[in-house]
Amino acid sequence: MNKRLLSCLVVLLLFSGITSAQISVSGRVTGAEDEPLIGVSVALKGTSQGTITDFDGKYMIDVPSSSSVLVFSFLGYKQQEVTVGSSRNISISLAEDVSALNEVVVVGYGTQYKKDLTGSISKLNSETFEFQPLQSLENAIQGRAAGVFINSGSGKLGQAMNVRVRGQSSVSASNQPLYVIDGIPVVSESIGSATEPDNPLASLAPEDIASIEILKDASAAAIYGARASNGVILVTTKSGKAGKTRVNLGFYTGTSSPTRKREWLNAAEYRELFQYAAENSDFGVFDGAEEFEANTGTDDWNSTNDTDWASEAFQTGGVNNLNLNISGGDAKTTFLISGTYNDQKGILIGNALNRISGRLNLDHKVYNNVKIGMNLSLVKSLNQRVPSDNAFTNPLQLNALPPLQPKIDPATGELNQNTLYYNNLIDLVNGYNNATTYRSISSVFAQWDITKNWSFRSEYGVDWVNLQEDQYRGRETLDGAPTGQAFNSQATVINQNVQNYFSYNNDFSDNLNLTATVGMQYLDGVNTSTSATGEGFPNNKFTKIASAASIIAASTFESRYAFTSYFARVNARISNKFLVGLSGRVDGSSRFGVDNRFGFFPAVSAGYILSEESFLKDNSTINFLKLRASWGKTGNAEIGNFASRTLWGANFVGNVSGIIPTQLGVTNLTWENTAQFDIGIDFGLFNDRISGSLDYYQKNTNDLLLNLPLPATNGYTIITKNLGSLENKGWEVAITSQNLVGKFTWSTEFNISGYKNVVTNLNGSTIDGGARQMGRISEGEPFGYFYGPKYAGVNPANGNAQYEATDGVVYDQDDFTSLPDSLRNQKVGDPNPDFFGGMNNRFSYMGFTFDVQLQYVFGNDLYNIAGFFQSVNGDYFDNQSRDQLDYWREEGQVTNIPEPRLYSGNGAIKSSRWVQDGSYLRVRAVTLSYALPRNFSKRAKLDNATIYVSAQNLFTFTNYEGYDPEVNATYTGNVNLGHDFYTPPQARIITVGFNASF
Amino acid sequence: MKKFNIILFAGILVFASSCIKQLDIEPLQSIDASQALESGEDIESAIVGAYGIMHGGALYGTNLNLIPELLGSDNYLLWRGTFQSYRQIMNKSVFIDNAEASRTWIQGYRAINIANNVLANLAKVEDVDQRSQLEAEARFIRGIMLFELVRIYGAPYDAQGSNSGLGLVLNLVAVDTEAEASVEGSRSTVAQTYAQLIQDLEAAEPNLPDSYSGNNRFRATTYAAKAFLARVYLQQGNYAAALAKANEVIESGNFELNPAIVAAFGNKFTSESIFELYNNDQNNAGTANDGLTTFYASLPGIGRSDIRVLEAFANQYESTDDRRSQLIYRGSGARPNQLQNGKYTNFGQNIPIIRISEMYLIRAEANIRLGSALGAEPLQDINTVRERSRATTLTAVTLDDVLKERSFELAFEGYRIHDLKRLKLGTGTFAWDDPKLVFPIPEREIRANSNLQQNPGY
Repeated sequence: MNKRLLSCLVVLLLFSGITSAQISVSGRVTGAEDEPLIGVSVALKGTSQGTITDFDGKYMIDVPSSSSVLVFSFLGYKQQEVTVGSSRNISISLAEDVSALNEVVVVGYGTQYKKDLTGSISKLNSETFEFQPLQSLENAIQGRAAGVFINSGSGKLGQAMNVRVRGQSSVSASNQPLYVIDGIPVVSESIGSATEPDNPLASLAPEDIASIEILKDASAAAIYGARASNGVILVTTKSGKAGKTRVNLGFYTGTSSPTRKREWLNAAEYRELFQYAAENSDFGVFDGAEEFEANTGTDDWNSTNDTDWASEAFQTGGVNNLNLNISGGDAKTTFLISGTYNDQKGILIGNALNRISGRLNLDHKVYNNVKIGMNLSLVKSLNQRVPSDNAFTNPLQLNALPPLQPKIDPATGELNQNTLYYNNLIDLVNGYNNATTYRSISSVFAQWDITKNWSFRSEYGVDWVNLQEDQYRGRETLDGAPTGQAFNSQATVINQNVQNYFSYNNDFSDNLNLTATVGMQYLDGVNTSTSATGEGFPNNKFTKIASAASIIAASTFESRYAFTSYFARVNARISNKFLVGLSGRVDGSSRFGVDNRFGFFPAVSAGYILSEESFLKDNSTINFLKLRASWGKTGNAEIGNFASRTLWGANFVGNVSGIIPTQLGVTNLTWENTAQFDIGIDFGLFNDRISGSLDYYQKNTNDLLLNLPLPATNGYTIITKNLGSLENKGWEVAITSQNLVGKFTWSTEFNISGYKNVVTNLNGSTIDGGARQMGRISEGEPFGYFYGPKYAGVNPANGNAQYEATDGVVYDQDDFTSLPDSLRNQKVGDPNPDFFGGMNNRFSYMGFTFDVQLQYVFGNDLYNIAGFFQSVNGDYFDNQSRDQLDYWREEGQVTNIPEPRLYSGNGAIKSSRWVQDGSYLRVRAVTLSYALPRNFSKRAKLDNATIYVSAQNLFTFTNYEGYDPEVNATYTGNVNLGHDFYTPPQARIITVGFNASF
Repeated sequence: MKKFNIILFAGILVFASSCIKQLDIEPLQSIDASQALESGEDIESAIVGAYGIMHGGALYGTNLNLIPELLGSDNYLLWRGTFQSYRQIMNKSVFIDNAEASRTWIQGYRAINIANNVLANLAKVEDVDQRSQLEAEARFIRGIMLFELVRIYGAPYDAQGSNSGLGLVLNLVAVDTEAEASVEGSRSTVAQTYAQLIQDLEAAEPNLPDSYSGNNRFRATTYAAKAFLARVYLQQGNYAAALAKANEVIESGNFELNPAIVAAFGNKFTSESIFELYNNDQNNAGTANDGLTTFYASLPGIGRSDIRVLEAFANQYESTDDRRSQLIYRGSGARPNQLQNGKYTNFGQNIPIIRISEMYLIRAEANIRLGSALGAEPLQDINTVRERSRATTLTAVTLDDVLKERSFELAFEGYRIHDLKRLKLGTGTFAWDDPKLVFPIPEREIRANSNLQQNPGY
C-alpha cells in the first residue's frame, strides 16, 4: 500500500511541477547505521506534493516557502517532520519503528497498518521461526498463533497435517484453511492416491517465507468469500531490497530420534502371560506352546529368541539443509534469488524426504508510476513414503510380533518369513515407495498508479503441481506376492488465477482517511491423473511396469472447477479514533448448483481507538487501546466439484461397458455458510512494552452438506443437501512483552485459546466413525466426540472385564454385551481440546540469543484403537504393552487389567479402556544462537555471521501412554479425530548450523 | 487519463463476464443425467449397466448365490470367516443393520431403477427391433430382480396359501429427480409381487433374441426368460407351467451338457449355460475382497477359505461322481486341508446362473409330480444329468431321487434355502416358514421410508 502511495505522489509531483516556481530543497535520508534509505517518501505537509529518495538516499523537492514542513515517511521507520526554515539542505536519519502496532499487515488484496485493523489477524514474521528445521510451513505456525490448532498427526515425513482455524466448521466438506501464497490460492489438499493424505505444502521451502498472516474473523476473511470459512493463511515470500547485493548462506545439519518408544513384553514376560492366557481360555485349558505353534506354524515358543521388534521400526533420522539467497537491487529493480537443498531422513525405517527448490522474485519500475514483477518458484521433492498406519506393512506394526520370533530366519539367513504377522522389514529390501513432486507457484503482476489516490493491479498466477508415485513390491513381499507388483501414478493439478483490482487511498483531512479496494478474480483448477498397476516381474532387478507380464489396472482421471468473483472493501479512519470497515464479495463457482450459483459474502467491522480520547491520551500506563467488533459471512466451497449434479458413470460386464446412474443431485446445492461475530481488544501498555489482543468469537455454520437418506426402492440411497448446522464459540488471548530491554533483553510471547464446538442440527441423524472407531458426530455434541461402551475395570471376584451402562449399573462383559444398544453406548471422551497455545521466551545478550518455545494442548482425549490388539491382556498372540503384566490372577485382586484368556475376548470389545487424556506440554523448539562480533565478522568480510544449535520437540510432558500425544491417524477418516493406530511418534531433532551474509 | 480508465474498466467488465461463462463446467468422469439417455446406443449402454449392477457382489457376484446357501447351511456348509455379516446369515440371526441385507436390497432396486429408466426412454430408440429387444431386456431384469428379492425379503411362497404376506415395494416408475426418489412406497403382497414379476418375464420372453454372439453372450435370451419362468413356476408349485417352460428350453436344442461338468465353471459361455455372469480378470467381484472365489477357494494365493464344505454333505456323493471328485477338493491355500467347493476357483471366471441341467431336473420333477412324461421320461432326464458326471445310472426314479439329484448337481449355486422353503423342509431347527429364514428389511430403509413395514420377527 505504501509503495503504491509513494508512486501516486510522484505522479502528482509531475503535475505540480508545471504550475509553480518555488524554493528547492535537497538532502539525504539515512538509517541508523548511515546506510542510504531508498524510496523514502518526502512530502510537503498539507499538500499532496512530494517525492521519494533515490538509490543514494538523496532527494530534491521544491517547496513554496521557508515555513513549509517536510514529512519523511518510510515503511518500518518512524515518521519525521522537519520545517524547511533557511536550510536548503536537509539530511536526516530515520529511526526504526519497533512498535508492533505500526507493523504492516498483509490482508487480502492489500495491506493495512496493524493499528488500523478491525478484524482478527495473527501475524508471524520469519524471525520467529528462523534457525528451526521446519518440515513444512504449518510447523512455523504451531503454538504461535492464537486460535490456530495444528496437529502434525504422525511422525511420517511429508504427511498432511490437521490445521483448524477457530474450530471445526464442517462435517463433510474440508476443514482445512485456504492457503494464499503471494496472492495465489494454492493447492493444499492431498493429490496422491495413498490412503493417508500427502501434504503439497511440504514442497515449499520455509526459508523463502517472509511473513505469514492468518485471517481468522469474518471481517478479515470474508474478502475471500466462499472459500474462507476455515480461515485464510496468507504467505508472503521474501523479496529483495534496494541497496548493495546481499548474499546469505545458511546451513544446518542434525539428527532425529522418536520422542518416545513404548515398552513391550520381552520373551520371558511374553511366555508367562500367554501361558496363563492359554490355560485360562474360555475354550479350554490349552498349552501356550501348542497354541503358538497352531497360530504361527513355528515352534519359536521354545526358542531362546528375544527380539525387540518395536525398535526395528525406527532408525536414527537426520537432516541437512543448505540455503543460499542473494538479494538486492536499485531504485528501479529489486530481486531475490534463493535456492534451498533439504534432505531429511525420517525416524521410521524407509522414510525420507528430499527437496530442492529455487525462487526468483523480481520487481521493476517501468515508469515512475508503473511497476511490474514476478515471483517464480520451482521445487522438486522426493518423498520415500511409509505405508498407511492400517497396513501390515506399516513399520510400527512390527511391535505386534512376538519377541520369541527371530528377525533373521536361522534356516535361510534371510529375513524371517514365518512370523505371526508379516515381517514388513522384507518390504524395505524388496521394494520402494517413492513420491516425487514437481511444483511451481509463479505469478506476474503489473501495478499502475493511475492518480494520487487510485491504483490498479493485475496479477496472473499459476500453481502447477505434478506428483509421480512410483511403487514396487517384490515377490517376497506381502503385497507383491507371488510375482511382484508395481504401481505408477502421475497426478497433475494446475490452478490458474487472474485477479484485477483497483485500490484507493485518500487522506481527506486529518480527520478522515479512506481506503478502498474493488476488483475481480477468476480461478480455474484442473486435476488430472493417470495410473497403472502391473504384475508379473522377472525378478527384483526389474521394477518398472514395462517389465510386467500383465497390467491388472489402469485408469485416467480428469476434473475441473472454476470460480468467478467480485469483491470490494472500504475502510475509513475517522478522527484517528473511529475505524469502520465494510467488505463484500460475490463468488460464483462451477461447484455450486445452477440454481444457486452465486453467493454474497458481506462483512462489517468497527474499531474505536480509546487511547486517542483525551481521558487516555498521555496516560502513562495505557499507550494504546482499541475496541473492535466484526460480523460477516463466509462460505466453504470445498464440497466436491460436481456434488450438485445428477450423474451417470460407466460400469463393466466382462469386456463390455455400460452406464449407470451414480449420483442424484439437487440444482440448488451450494456452499456451506458461516456467519461469524467477533469482538476484541488490542492494547499497548508502558509504551508498547506489553501489547496484545483478546478476542471472543462465535461462528455459526449453516447449510452443512449432509447426505439425506432416501428409500433405496427408488434406485438411490442418498441425496446431498445443505441441511445441517453447527457452531463454534471461542476465545483467544495473545500477549507480547518486552520484559527487559537494553543490553540484556528478554521478551515473551504468550498465547492461549479455546473453543467449544457443538453440532446443532444434523437433520436428526448421526455420523459414526466405524465399527472399531469411537468418533461420532451427533446433535448437541462436539464434532467427533467419543461414543461407545464405558470401561469399568475388572470384577475382583472373577477377573471379568466390566462395563458401566448408561444407567450407571456396572455389568460383567457377557451381561453387558447382551444389553440393548441404548444402554451400552455413551459419551466417553472428546478429542477437542479445552484450550491450547504456546509461549515463547527469547533472551539476548552480547550476540547470544536463547529462544525457547513451549506448546501445549489441554483437555483433549485420545483413543488408541490398536489397544484391541496390543493392550488386551493376551487375547491373541500380538505382543502386549508392558502394563498388561498387571493382570488379574486371583480372587479379590484389584486391578484394571482383566484376566488373560486366550481367544476369549475378555475386555476386548470397543470401549473407553483405551481412551486417555491427551493433554501435553511440549518444549517445541529451543535455539541458542551466537552472532559473531561485528569486528570479527568484518575481518572475515562478512556482514554478519551467526552460529546456532537448535532442538525440536526436546521434551514432552504428558500422561498419555501411547507413543506421542500429538497424533491423528488420518486413515480412520474425517470423523475420527484423536485416534491412534500404530501411528509413529514425532521426531526429536537436534541441529547445529550457521548463517552468514556478505 | 479518464479515457484510459474507461477502457480499463470496460476491458475488465468484458473479461469478467466472459469468466461467468467459464463456470459451466461439465464433469469428465461421468456425464450429466440429462445427456445420459439420448439415443438407442445410450439406452443400450444403460441396459448393459443394469447387467453390470447384477454382476456385483451384492447380487449375482456373491450374495444371490451365497445368502440362500448360508441360510440353508445345516449339514452342508460352514462359514468360518471373519465377516460377521455372513456369520449372522449362517446362524439365522441376521441383524437389521446386516451389511449383506442392506447392499443386496439397495443394488437390486438399483438395477430395477435402471430397467425402469430404459423403459421410460424407449421412444428415443429409433430402430424398432432394437427398441423391442431393449424393452424385453429391461422387463427381464426387473422380473428376475423382483424374483430374487422377494425370495429373500418376502414371506415364502406357499402353493397352498393366499400369499397375502409381505412382498416387495413395486416401483415401476423411472426415477431421476429428488421428488421421485423421495416417494415412500409401501410393500405389496407376495402374490402381487409374483404377479408382477411373471408379467415382466412373460412380456420379455417373446421379444428377446434366441442367442447372442461374442462378448454379448451375457445378455438375456428368450431361453433365459423361459428358464427363469420355469424356476418361478417351480417355486410357486405350478408344476405344469414349470414343466412347459423347462421343456421348451430343452427342446430348443440350443443347449447341451458339457462332456465334463468342470467345463461349465472353467470356461466362458459353454454349451450348457443358459444365463451366465461374465467376468474377466479386471471386472469381477473377487478383486474387491468379495465374490464367490474369494470366500470359497483355498488355493495358493487365491481365496480366503471362509466357507468349507461339511464332510456329511460331501459323503453323500458317490466317490466316482465328478461332482465329488472334481468339484470338492481339500484346500491348499488359506485354512488348508478342509473340504472346499471347487466351482469357483479364480476371480476372472464366469459364473453360470442357469445351466441346462437345472431344466432337466425341473422337467423330471414336474413330470413325476404330474405323472407325465413330457419331453422325456423322468428317469432318462435324471440319468442324463448323472451320466455326464460319471455317477451310476439309476434304474428307477422317485421324487426324492430327483430332489437329491438337484442338491448334488446344483450345490453351491444359490438354490439351497429356496428349495428347502418350497419343499417345506426347513433347515436345522428352523421350520420352512420360520421368520428368521426371511431377511429383515434393512434398518437404513426403515429409517428412510416411514411407510415400510418390517418383516415379522425383527
